[in-house]
Amino acid sequence: MARSMLIISRQAPWAGPSAREALDIVLAGGAFELPLGLLFLDDGVFQLTKAQQAASLEQKDLTANLQALPLFGIDSLFVARSSLTERNLDESSLALPVEILDDAGLSTLINRYDHVITI
Amino acid sequence: MKFVIALFAPPHSPAARRALRFAEAVLAGGHEIVRLFFYQDGVHSASANVVAAQDELDVAAEWSRFVSANQLDGVVCIAAGLRRGVLDAGEAQRYQRPAANLAAGWELSGLGQLHEAAQQADRLVCFGGQ
Amino acid sequence: MATLHLLSHSPFSDGRFNSCLPLLGDTDALLLAGDATYALTAGTKPATELEQLPEQVALFALEEDVQARALGMLPTRVQLLDYAGFVELTCRYERINSWL
Repeated sequence: MARSMLIISRQAPWAGPSAREALDIVLAGGAFELPLGLLFLDDGVFQLTKAQQAASLEQKDLTANLQALPLFGIDSLFVARSSLTERNLDESSLALPVEILDDAGLSTLINRYDHVITI
Repeated sequence: MKFVIALFAPPHSPAARRALRFAEAVLAGGHEIVRLFFYQDGVHSASANVVAAQDELDVAAEWSRFVSANQLDGVVCIAAGLRRGVLDAGEAQRYQRPAANLAAGWELSGLGQLHEAAQQADRLVCFGGQ
Repeated sequence: MATLHLLSHSPFSDGRFNSCLPLLGDTDALLLAGDATYALTAGTKPATELEQLPEQVALFALEEDVQARALGMLPTRVQLLDYAGFVELTCRYERINSWL
């Protein structure tokens, strides 16, 4: 059976290439149809907010890539409730459908995967 | 056990030395390193152009020696490397850059190599930060 | 099954420590390396939080980092490791979550 991997993305989209490079790991694994999960934690939840304008900073649009994840067979998308709450965000603030987990749920989630990469 | 060791930090970061000492201990403990994979700022730890002061530890050079001496599979992410100016001869030529700087022992390849190695490994251990 | 979390940033200047602690499950473990070992500094909030982790959560630190920083008066629950011990620990836990 293929080994699973959880990628935990915890950087804001405008903090350098980290958010994109976390996503690239996910997309590369998706190409092999590996069992992957992607969790947005801490400032990583800012990757999900609506109506961001990448052109304002001469950057590429990350949201479009995130929204395309299900097309690549990656639909295990999770968000930390505590990270949303801390930032006064909720489900309606997010640009794509995700499963929101509390701390206990996150702990269980991490322990479900064979490998974890937190960026 | 079979390990993949991934480094995300440049050679001047304590994490680059920590990863190296960990990798040495993995082999000393009788375990196998399936692959080393350098990603993000870790690609700088595979640069041959790092010059450490004479009385300072040269982590990038030690990594290169470690990979060569143990004939390990050492992969540097090509996209992360290009973005940060770590090129082999082929990429330097392709993008018409004046020099290649990938240290001996390493090869540039894609992120698929990380996944492929993780499929074979019992443990993936990442090093980065401080 | 259990996860070994690895922290290397100082709890006094970085949010990783605070984000990591609530995610530690009962059988998980925490390894402090680099500036994260400053969390062991006696009389500080991070040290108190480490003391208050559930008893089953094992706490480790890299000995070289503790020595380099001249940290004394360590919490009794912390176990110090050399690199051989670090490798052995990664074999004992099923996955390693490094907070890069």
